[in-house]
Amino acid sequence: MTTGLAASDQSAPRAVRVTRARRSSLWGLTAVVAAVIGLATLPYLVYADVTDFLINAFILLVLASMWNLLAGYCGLISVGQQAYVGVGAYSVLVLAQNGINPYAAIPAAVLVAGLIAIPVSFLVFRLRAEYFAIGTWVVAEVFFLALIRVRSLGGGTGTSLPGLSLIDPALREAFTYWCALVIAAAALLASYLLLSSRMGLDLTAIRDNEVAARSVGVRVTTAQRIVYVVSAAGCGAGGALLIISQLNVLASAIFSVQWSAKMIFISLIGGVGSIEGPILGTGIFFAIQQSLAQLGAWYLILVGTVGIFVAMFLPRGVWGLISSRFHIQVFPVGYWLHEPHPALPQRGREKS
Amino acid sequence: MTEAPALLELTGVSKRFGRITVADNLSLSFRAAEMVGIVGPNGAGKSTLFAMIAGDVTPDAGELRFDGRSVIRLDPAARCRMGIARTYQVPRPFENMTVFENLLVAAFRGGQVPRQSGFALAANLLEETGLSQDANRPAGRLGLLQRKRLELARGLATQPRVLLLDEVAGGLTDPEVAQLVAIVDQVRRRGVAVVWVEHVVHALTSAVSRLICLAGGRLIAEGTPDDVLANPEVKEVYLGADYGAEADWGKGVGD
Repeated sequence: MTTGLAASDQSAPRAVRVTRARRSSLWGLTAVVAAVIGLATLPYLVYADVTDFLINAFILLVLASMWNLLAGYCGLISVGQQAYVGVGAYSVLVLAQNGINPYAAIPAAVLVAGLIAIPVSFLVFRLRAEYFAIGTWVVAEVFFLALIRVRSLGGGTGTSLPGLSLIDPALREAFTYWCALVIAAAALLASYLLLSSRMGLDLTAIRDNEVAARSVGVRVTTAQRIVYVVSAAGCGAGGALLIISQLNVLASAIFSVQWSAKMIFISLIGGVGSIEGPILGTGIFFAIQQSLAQLGAWYLILVGTVGIFVAMFLPRGVWGLISSRFHIQVFPVGYWLHEPHPALPQRGREKS
Repeated sequence: MTEAPALLELTGVSKRFGRITVADNLSLSFRAAEMVGIVGPNGAGKSTLFAMIAGDVTPDAGELRFDGRSVIRLDPAARCRMGIARTYQVPRPFENMTVFENLLVAAFRGGQVPRQSGFALAANLLEETGLSQDANRPAGRLGLLQRKRLELARGLATQPRVLLLDEVAGGLTDPEVAQLVAIVDQVRRRGVAVVWVEHVVHALTSAVSRLICLAGGRLIAEGTPDDVLANPEVKEVYLGADYGAEADWGKGVGD
């Protein structure tokens, strides 16, 4: 008996106008599409050092976006996403060693990372909060320790990626760049589609209050598991890109907790809990890196200080500051109820 | 008066936290379109009773039936989808979502309504509970009264058949309480079983048809509000539990 409570007693079904943002944000999406098209033409226009730099930026953007999905929308703080970065990279390596073109292996790497995340989720989801964080890190270490025992994959000393030596280097770099661009755009699009679906509403509710989300009927664990798998798949794509752009892989580097540190830093300064945050965060991260890298250890100290400062005073990051100040959203995922309420003017005079 | 079959039925429900008994062999039943009040001193087990009905706490023993089906093994989300909604004593809004979005989650998931009817349901409830003007504000910016209203509206958005209200009137002025009672009574008339835990006893007596008094996890008295409040054991429980003078009956004691 789903005899509606409201709606049922109302005489006529009222037309309710709801949009995804207060104002149309078509310009925002147009700007994004234009930016992607503009970026796609870059290999024809600039030297390889620029595209190389951007490949790294795209990889970090993908990783940070995936971490942000987990932390910003599920309340799951992982410091072990490098497990899937490694799985993605080694999946490409294994397939390439068996004669498959590394580029063609990227989708398979994404799939493998996602599939592995399913059983792992049953393991780590038994843990809460800080225990979850440590648990995910342990999983990454276990993956690392298991992989360095495999001689054919380079063991602990690393190995190079076969299968790309016959391609002209300029073409290879351009192609890698396009792959990175497509994957970065796909990661953002996937985040947007996920968050603007009804599940996005579930996830935002979970982030704000898990207990309350359960009590209004949200299947919390299912939603979290889906996001965990999506996030793993995305990190797998990042790992696949890493091995292809570097042409070699070192287990201790690809499974390094440094990746998690970078994901956290980028999401934190850009803004946890928004799609725009990691994009802005990646920009800020590289700006800091470019201008301060020659400072050596001081650079790391500065990065850490900035991270702490933002976490303390800008809980929603730089993007949070911008979007609340100027009321802009590039990726609108909310629901805006428009004013015209016929009953509104007389409210208060009515009965009851 | 014909007795409708119970919509929600607890049989021999018991729960202990360490050496403290919060539910001692409780058997209660609630019918559709009935408003029942539950009173009792602090630690009487009122909130735990709700937590057990909603699925946040698992009883040590006993059976819980909703609409004839045992729901004891279901998690809170599943129970909510079946039609058991609860509000929390301390409101738990989704603070970074707008008030409207708060209701949408509840309507889509708990109420399992399709998209457009979800919008209409949420908009209607905003109006009924006087939250229309706050529709697009982040719930975290609401004051206490509005938070309490949101808690109620969000519970209603799940399209419940049993609504558990945990001290929704606490901290509100008399006119505000009266407004709330009116809203809740409308809900009841649509066939919802409303179970209302309240410290402010007078808010309840005017609204409920049946009153239950709990103390130490046990059922002390049950019946019409007047009978229960006149019950010597009930008086003793309240007076004995350092709630002091008769005057406190009316005011209630803030936590």
